[in-house]
Amino acid sequence: MILTMLTESQRATLRALIDRIIPADDFPGGWEAGVGGYLDRQFAGDLCHQLDMYRAGLDAFDIEARATAGVNFAELAPDAQDALLRKVELGDVVTDWPIEPAVFFHAAAEHAAEGFYGDPGNGGNRDGVSWRMIGFEVTG
Amino acid sequence: MSTYDVIVVGAGAGGGVAAGVLAEAGKAVLLIERGREMAFEDVPRDHLRNHRYSRYGHNTGPSLEGNPRVLVDLDGHEHTLRPHEDAYQNNATGVGGGARVYGAQAWRYLPADFEMASTYGVPAGSSLADWPIGYADVAPYYERAEWEIGVCGDSVGSAERWPRDRDYPMPPVQLNRQGALMRRGAEALGWSTLAVPLLINSTPYGGRPACIHCQHCIGFACPVDAKNDSQNTLLARGRATGRVEVVTEAMVEQVNTVGGRVVGVTYVDRDDKRQSARAEVVVLAAGAIETARLMLNSVSSEHPHGLGNAHDQVGRNLQGHYYPGAVGLMSEPVHDGIGPGVTTAITQFNHGNADLIGGGMIADEFVVLPIIFWARNLPPDLPRWGAEAKGFMRDNYTRVARVMGPVQEIPSPDARVTLDPKVRDRWGIPAARLSGAAHPETVRTAEFMYARAGEWLAASGAQRIWGSPPKVKLSGGQHQAGTARMGDDPASSVTDRWSRVHGHDNLYVADGSVHVTNGGFNPVLTIMALAFRAAEHVSRAW
Repeated sequence: MILTMLTESQRATLRALIDRIIPADDFPGGWEAGVGGYLDRQFAGDLCHQLDMYRAGLDAFDIEARATAGVNFAELAPDAQDALLRKVELGDVVTDWPIEPAVFFHAAAEHAAEGFYGDPGNGGNRDGVSWRMIGFEVTG
Repeated sequence: MSTYDVIVVGAGAGGGVAAGVLAEAGKAVLLIERGREMAFEDVPRDHLRNHRYSRYGHNTGPSLEGNPRVLVDLDGHEHTLRPHEDAYQNNATGVGGGARVYGAQAWRYLPADFEMASTYGVPAGSSLADWPIGYADVAPYYERAEWEIGVCGDSVGSAERWPRDRDYPMPPVQLNRQGALMRRGAEALGWSTLAVPLLINSTPYGGRPACIHCQHCIGFACPVDAKNDSQNTLLARGRATGRVEVVTEAMVEQVNTVGGRVVGVTYVDRDDKRQSARAEVVVLAAGAIETARLMLNSVSSEHPHGLGNAHDQVGRNLQGHYYPGAVGLMSEPVHDGIGPGVTTAITQFNHGNADLIGGGMIADEFVVLPIIFWARNLPPDLPRWGAEAKGFMRDNYTRVARVMGPVQEIPSPDARVTLDPKVRDRWGIPAARLSGAAHPETVRTAEFMYARAGEWLAASGAQRIWGSPPKVKLSGGQHQAGTARMGDDPASSVTDRWSRVHGHDNLYVADGSVHVTNGGFNPVLTIMALAFRAAEHVSRAW
């Protein structure tokens, strides 16, 4: 369980971030659909060299959220989280990030999609929920 | 040291055919393959690691570590690449080669594809040439490949485009909604369509069952063994004779010569031990990049620049296929889950286009994995996150159609494989160094076909169309070809009309390397046909 190597607030921020990248609607959000499980497996494998970037990026999200709204990212309302993400996506941040904000956000968005739309064998896409959502059925 | 009649290097589409034909002709064959023998279960349906989407690797060999290549980019910068990285020009390793996981399109080249230079003239900066043989020379072997490996297709439609003496052994695979829609669009344009010929059993054939129309065809192994390639046909026949010895996970380092004459090969086995084997004849079928690399690395005092390379031709003219295509959001669902997915082709733009040298084929696309849809098929202005991205995926995965196809490339002598002076693989063999770029005429043709893709989608009812226009790059990839091309003149070619290396009557090539040009079609049936032809020549001459 690599994710247990993150701090509690890093984990909360990661979950909140994943759930804005793939928000819940009639179908589950990214975290409930297993993106955390996907990341947990990948941080022990192909993405092991990116764990430090995640730690730094998640901390920076909270510092940015506290500087602009007074609370950690996970405690913001979804609309406020989205507004912050739109700024981060453009690199339009007010605090000093140790990594390029947009690079981290794009990496997280890509990894979330891999965990959500990839095959369940990779640890995400719980019970093939995203495939049911879009109409990709495996028949043989 | 073991002695054989023939050593075949590489168990892909060409090598498997050659080994099978030669064993049935009574030859003792050693087939050396650097990948593994793979059962269906050994080729995972991993959506992040396959030959369609190699985000983190592949579901076959080559392994990511120990197999570097060096790319010299258009600005002259060098990049050491791993097999799943862009521009490595990878193809699957393993018994069956790339064909184990291919989409199995089974095209003949057109008669004019063998006569490109005399049909169109030779543009500046290109090495465009006619083949030393014509369609009529290859046609009997296309027929053998179609029947002995197994192709399904529309015999009547094919005969309107190609001279052919015999029907396909099987009718086309089942049509799906995407294909039906695209056929209506083509009809509206006055374009003639053809069912895509496939090396897939549409009916039980060759002792194996029919396709079950699953969604994991291209990029994966077949769950019911209905996809036909050399390993489950010719190589299986060869093995049944008891005369083929298959050595896997073994890397051939050098073709050995004595006094300039080819006598066998040296390879590194799976225990990292160097082994030598002798044979009357050596057949190289490692793919256009690895075959060239092996020839260049086979240096001796008589052949200081490598085998067959007295005129500095080995490794030049590397080509593959530009694949222009476009994506359209249709007004009705087109994905019905019926695989393999590709059903319908347009071949009227392969030749006869004003102001273009050749052209290309265009067809609808295989069933697309959801993650590939996310990575490659979303509209360029759609956010990649949030409710809008998820909503687009949910609403439109089944409503998006794709068309694309291979462009006939105009060879450039500067697009080439050499040996890197520094980087070596895990066996200590110099890595392939790839440099140069596609000829500008190739890009021009690709731009033309890109426009046809959009036109076809629009006529088929697309509400919105998007895609990426072609860019200048080095081509090769899974359709790699040209690096040991055939010709009658040793000064401008590497192999003769029998796929035999000039100056070496017992060294043959049986992969896409011998293609002078690569057609505007998937090349595998031509690779197979020429392997039949070369192997037959070996068995007659030796």
